[in-house]
Amino acid sequence: MALDSLDRSPPPFFRVGFAPLTKLVFFSALSLLLVFCDKQLQYTKPLRAGLSTIILPVQWLVLQPGVALSAIGTYFQSLDQAQKNLKAAELKVLQQTVRSQQVEQLQIENQNLRLLMDLQFSIDVSSQTAEVLFDVPDLFNQRIVINRGQLKNVALGSPVIDAGGVVGQVTRVFPLTSEVTLLTDRDQSIPVLNSRTGARNITSGDVLAGLQMIELKFVPASADVKEGDLLTTSGIDGIYPAGLQVARISHIERRVDISFARIHASPLAELKGRHVLVLQPAAASTTNKGKTP
Amino acid sequence: MMMSHREALLLPVSPWFIALSLLMSLLLSMLLGLSQALWIPDVLAVSIFFWGIHQPHRVGMATAFVLGLWMDVQNSSLLGQHALSYVLLSYFAFSMHRRLLWFPIKEQMLQIAPFFILAELIGLLIRLITGDDFPGWPMLLSPFIETLLWPVANYILLAPQRRAHDPDVNRPI
Repeated sequence: MALDSLDRSPPPFFRVGFAPLTKLVFFSALSLLLVFCDKQLQYTKPLRAGLSTIILPVQWLVLQPGVALSAIGTYFQSLDQAQKNLKAAELKVLQQTVRSQQVEQLQIENQNLRLLMDLQFSIDVSSQTAEVLFDVPDLFNQRIVINRGQLKNVALGSPVIDAGGVVGQVTRVFPLTSEVTLLTDRDQSIPVLNSRTGARNITSGDVLAGLQMIELKFVPASADVKEGDLLTTSGIDGIYPAGLQVARISHIERRVDISFARIHASPLAELKGRHVLVLQPAAASTTNKGKTP
Repeated sequence: MMMSHREALLLPVSPWFIALSLLMSLLLSMLLGLSQALWIPDVLAVSIFFWGIHQPHRVGMATAFVLGLWMDVQNSSLLGQHALSYVLLSYFAFSMHRRLLWFPIKEQMLQIAPFFILAELIGLLIRLITGDDFPGWPMLLSPFIETLLWPVANYILLAPQRRAHDPDVNRPI
């Protein structure tokens, strides 16, 4: 009898696949490779976009209990409260009417002045509203997910604002959703202008006494900064249009041994609101304008 | 067959129930994660570890890896962060699955707590190395809450197997 006719493979009952240690090494290495690619090389963007589209229906399902709860809450809100809200809204609209009429006039005036002085026109940015789906559950950073994505022409880096002011910036775009990093995130910076003094600074997210704040970086201790100063976007970065409200300075700490002042400002945006406005990055808008004269 | 001395004989497990339980814990994890509280336990990790102990040849590291990737995308954390900690948990479960069930449930909890802590620390370590801030001490509570969930998982996930089948003439016991 020839030896090779002997069946040397184990019967199916004993086949358990690879050794556990082999599997552990394989999957750990794969995970670490993914971590590295995700952090350093940005190779995983398509993978993440694909996966996020796959899990979107499940995400939708998971969000439904919260949506239902808030719907029930709104339903049982008292008539009195609703009337109060209406009154407040009407008052706000009235105030804004005066303001917006002034704006019309100021814009014409500004345009004429700019024409006289031969300066570039300020640009109108196109925008679209988006609904906030949820706060990103990751504990290490502050982001929200909105229901507008690549299919609605959301561009990477688009500024996002709400009724109060700047909310943050789009940092990841998926086909149907995008991720917005809030301005209170540690890695998020916005160039701002102190509207009282005209000084330009850079903010970054920071936590002060458990509150989500932003910090003004690299301001000399002797600089003219007061509590209550309004910070607006300076517009020199080519992303945020100039003049959007960002924050109000709430806390200044000057120390003798450090040449920089520690300045904290509280954001004016609601940050936990339901709706936001996604703007086109300012530089993109100008190039679009240039293409279509 | 391994089995704790005070555990009744169990019916064979249904693969559909395993899949369903993993899916439910995935949904629950996604839902609880939305609250953004630091101490929220990872229900999915408990499920993966549980099935890794009870059915090591059905729920293994590959399943853990895929579920981990899913959580990474859902949480928008680094791709591979949850995958790594789930794979490690699954491996630890496999390495002790012959031993653990001989102990009463309290001693089981004592033995598995270090693995949940380790899995949490691995995730934390990856984030600290890649340059994130430490989010806060309450996050170290979650492995302990996961350990406390172990008896609950035992009760719920073994329930279909504990069902006594109805005896008839041909099957008296």
